[in-house]
Amino acid sequence: MSSHPKLTARNVDVYYGPKQAIDDVSIEVDSGIVTAFIGPSGCGKSTFLRCFNRMNDTIPVARVTGTIELDGQDIYASGMDVVQLRARVGMVFQKPNPFPKSIFENIAYGPRIHGLSQNKAELEEIVERSLTRAGLWEEVKDRLSDAGTVLSGGQQQRLCIARAIAVSPEVILMDEPCSALDPIATARIEELIDELRENYAIVIVTHSMQQAARVSQRTAFFHLGAMVEYGETDEIFTNPREKRTQDYITGRYG
Amino acid sequence: MTDQVILARMEQRLAKRHAAERRFRLLGLGAIVLSMAFLVLLLFIMLKNGIGGLDWKFLTGSDSTDPANAGIWGAFKGSLWTMLVTLALSFPLGVLAAVYLEEFAPRNRWIDMVEVSINNLAAVPSIIFGLLGLAVFINTLHLPRSSPLVGGLTLALMTMPVIVIASRNAIKAVPPSIRDAALAIGASPVQTVVQHVVPLALPGILTGTIIGMARALGETAPLLMIGMRAFVATPPDGITAPSSVLPMQIFLWSDEIDAGFVQNTSAAIIVLLVFLLAMNGLAIYLRNRFEVKW
Amino acid sequence: MIQLAILSALCALALLGWFTARSKARLFARDKVSTWSRPEYHAAHLVLWTVLPALLGWMVWSAIAPSLVDAALAGLPVAQQLPASGFERAAILAEARVLASHPDAGSFYPLAQELAAPIRELRARYDLIGAVLVVILAFAGGAWGFSRLRANFPARTWVERAFMLLLLMASLVAILTTFGIIASLVYETGLFFGKVSPIDFLTGTHWSPGTAVGDDIGDNFGAIPLFWGTLYIGAVIAMIVAIPLGLMSAIYLTQYASARARRWIKPMLEILAGVPTVVYGYFAALTVAPFIRDLAASLGRDNPSTESALAAGLVMGVMIIPFVSSMADDSIAAVPQAMSDGSLAMGATQSETIKRVLIPAALPGIVAGVMLAVSRAIGETMIVVMAAGAAANLSVDPLDSMTTVTFQIVQLLTGDQEFDSPKTLSAFALGLILFLVTLVLNIVALRVVRRFREAYD
Repeated sequence: MSSHPKLTARNVDVYYGPKQAIDDVSIEVDSGIVTAFIGPSGCGKSTFLRCFNRMNDTIPVARVTGTIELDGQDIYASGMDVVQLRARVGMVFQKPNPFPKSIFENIAYGPRIHGLSQNKAELEEIVERSLTRAGLWEEVKDRLSDAGTVLSGGQQQRLCIARAIAVSPEVILMDEPCSALDPIATARIEELIDELRENYAIVIVTHSMQQAARVSQRTAFFHLGAMVEYGETDEIFTNPREKRTQDYITGRYG
Repeated sequence: MTDQVILARMEQRLAKRHAAERRFRLLGLGAIVLSMAFLVLLLFIMLKNGIGGLDWKFLTGSDSTDPANAGIWGAFKGSLWTMLVTLALSFPLGVLAAVYLEEFAPRNRWIDMVEVSINNLAAVPSIIFGLLGLAVFINTLHLPRSSPLVGGLTLALMTMPVIVIASRNAIKAVPPSIRDAALAIGASPVQTVVQHVVPLALPGILTGTIIGMARALGETAPLLMIGMRAFVATPPDGITAPSSVLPMQIFLWSDEIDAGFVQNTSAAIIVLLVFLLAMNGLAIYLRNRFEVKW
Repeated sequence: MIQLAILSALCALALLGWFTARSKARLFARDKVSTWSRPEYHAAHLVLWTVLPALLGWMVWSAIAPSLVDAALAGLPVAQQLPASGFERAAILAEARVLASHPDAGSFYPLAQELAAPIRELRARYDLIGAVLVVILAFAGGAWGFSRLRANFPARTWVERAFMLLLLMASLVAILTTFGIIASLVYETGLFFGKVSPIDFLTGTHWSPGTAVGDDIGDNFGAIPLFWGTLYIGAVIAMIVAIPLGLMSAIYLTQYASARARRWIKPMLEILAGVPTVVYGYFAALTVAPFIRDLAASLGRDNPSTESALAAGLVMGVMIIPFVSSMADDSIAAVPQAMSDGSLAMGATQSETIKRVLIPAALPGIVAGVMLAVSRAIGETMIVVMAAGAAANLSVDPLDSMTTVTFQIVQLLTGDQEFDSPKTLSAFALGLILFLVTLVLNIVALRVVRRFREAYD
């Protein structure tokens, strides 16, 4: 692990009302690589992911304790502006959720509200750059004013990735980004993730072990709200240290 | 990587955006407060003007040209008779129609027309029902003008769609498993509905009926059309006697020049509002107490 | 009290029939003959045959009896004193009828007193005939029903079939009502357009039916000022109040308020819709209108009217708030959470998400809510009757007094009226237009909502 991790979590618990969803998890996530969270459904990996951009704040009954840091700054500190945090830590959701606007406006949404561009030309440049990085530019460059919702599922998800990229984040969180897509679209997204890791710290939650093995460099295995094991992806999948990890990987439970 | 330039631009806007957020939130709260304030003001003024006039003489006396002697008993009795007629007609018709549409009606164009009719009737302005009452009940059928019979008939036509809609929702909420169980024992479809489904839907049906009746109690416009506008000195002795209703009495008194009637009008409004509060409260109580969450 | 006597007789006969049929049906069971239905159904079957034909007969008789009484009355010598036709004749007859049932009621025409007694006698005679008819029908029906009673008679099927027929007829009342509304409005409007041309009515700008005499009465029935007043008060002023307050309330309730606050505040907003309109009207006339008048005076207006469009529109707007807020609430709640999550995850503030994503997404539903609110506002009567004026004024000044369609309908139909005069007929024409406009608004609004909901499923 590097000495300057991008994201750090220490002794994090998450409660939904009286029910505990995350139990004492500590982890360090680095830039330049893809980190995968795997585990059976309901184990809390999505909940934990949502801690990093404070999306759990939108759920009234959710309570987060412990420390989470971005570049060494506590993101739950009173001085930290949630709005700015969410621009630095972007998120892509399980089901593509483009806004009911045109393709251009979908991408331009983030830069507009954050005031990132000073004139129309800059804005167009940002849009083109984001769509190119997401591998969608060639397919939509002639129809930027079409509604985002007329695109196919895979294209919509790439649109959402482009939308997240447009505000120049440092981290991209992906919550099962391919689970609603067909295999071909999935393959394209996985290629994209590999290209993106050069510039961003990527954390991906996935219920597919094969995907984690293909796409990530480090993997964390979650079970019943606790992080059971965390290490290099090769090691986790060929030579796990914990029995529970071994059982999951070999398909003892799903 | 997040550029320093980009971070700087973001920082610049942050303060303004958060200020806008606070303003927006305050605006929303302000809207609610303003709406409520209007209601509170209305209630306050009515109470201030009318509470002094609420005595036994007021509650038991009939209308009079002298504000000191005028009372609401005549109008109140008229309201009772009218509500009786309205209930007697709209409740059975409404529930029976709802049962038919939910349980037995086939899916065809005629039934669609019935459903569309009911939904539209629920939104027709009340004064149109008054015109209907005038044209049909008074001019064609020669029923006694200004009587609770005609008033009740007119209001029943207006209230029936409300009851149908509420009853349909209540019946819809009864799960199919109840019906299946009854049919499986050998009950006929009619027996299933009458003996099993309707009793379970009854709380919702009653709630909807009470709310519909509360609305009818406060209606004035349709009764204006059928002539309940006259000065009635004696309380009505039956559904065919000329009479007034409580909201109409309020309307008539509000027109009086004599300032002494302000107290009477406000007091009558208090009585009306108390009744409506009681009825709606009863409906809510029924709903909370007896509604089963499937 | 002949009605009570008939009812009691029918009840007695029904009870008799019930017990008779049930005992006979029980005999079947005792004789171990298998019955198709339980004894209660046989009993119900007989009761239906006893009661239904009799009731039908009674209804028919009640409908034709008044005409028979009138016909007989016209032949009497005392009736020859009545004026030949027209308004006075109708009034005297009406009063005579009232006096016949309520001898203590106030009387205006002395002739009516004289007519009351003969009317009472005639009524008694025809009531008796009717009662005898009903009893005969009851017995006949009962006998027929009884003759059909045997062990394998499918009584339950018949009873249930009768029940279904009852249900069907109850449902048809709704169509009958709609049809009745349309028919009566169209008929009277047709009569009206026979006297006043539709063009004059729909495009004329001068409204003073009180002075309508002579050949070119069409000039006095120009309804444009009425339409204008209705729209100005209900669709403009009321909406200026209701839309911001209603929409922002809905936004606060769905986005910012805690669940507990929402549970209390939402019903309180609904209370606004439950207050009777006559109360709002009185409040408008007592407090709001004088306040606005004083405000206008302090702003330098000389002789401001107490009845202003602003007073009526303001109060109406407050009454309409729950209509807007309720629909807006439902529409905003129908937007999938994923959409606002997507916006928040990008670092948008709550208000930015609402303004740029939620409201545009919920817009069809919100617009539909506004349309329903407008429909409710233009159909409103009591508030305008008590706070707006009778002056048919084509003005844009909210402090002026204006009149609306509903006000005029009330104005034209109260007081003494001849039923054929263009004055009273015009009220029906106005009613037809009101009915059509609100109908169209409601249909369009509901269709918009339905399509909007489909988009999010």
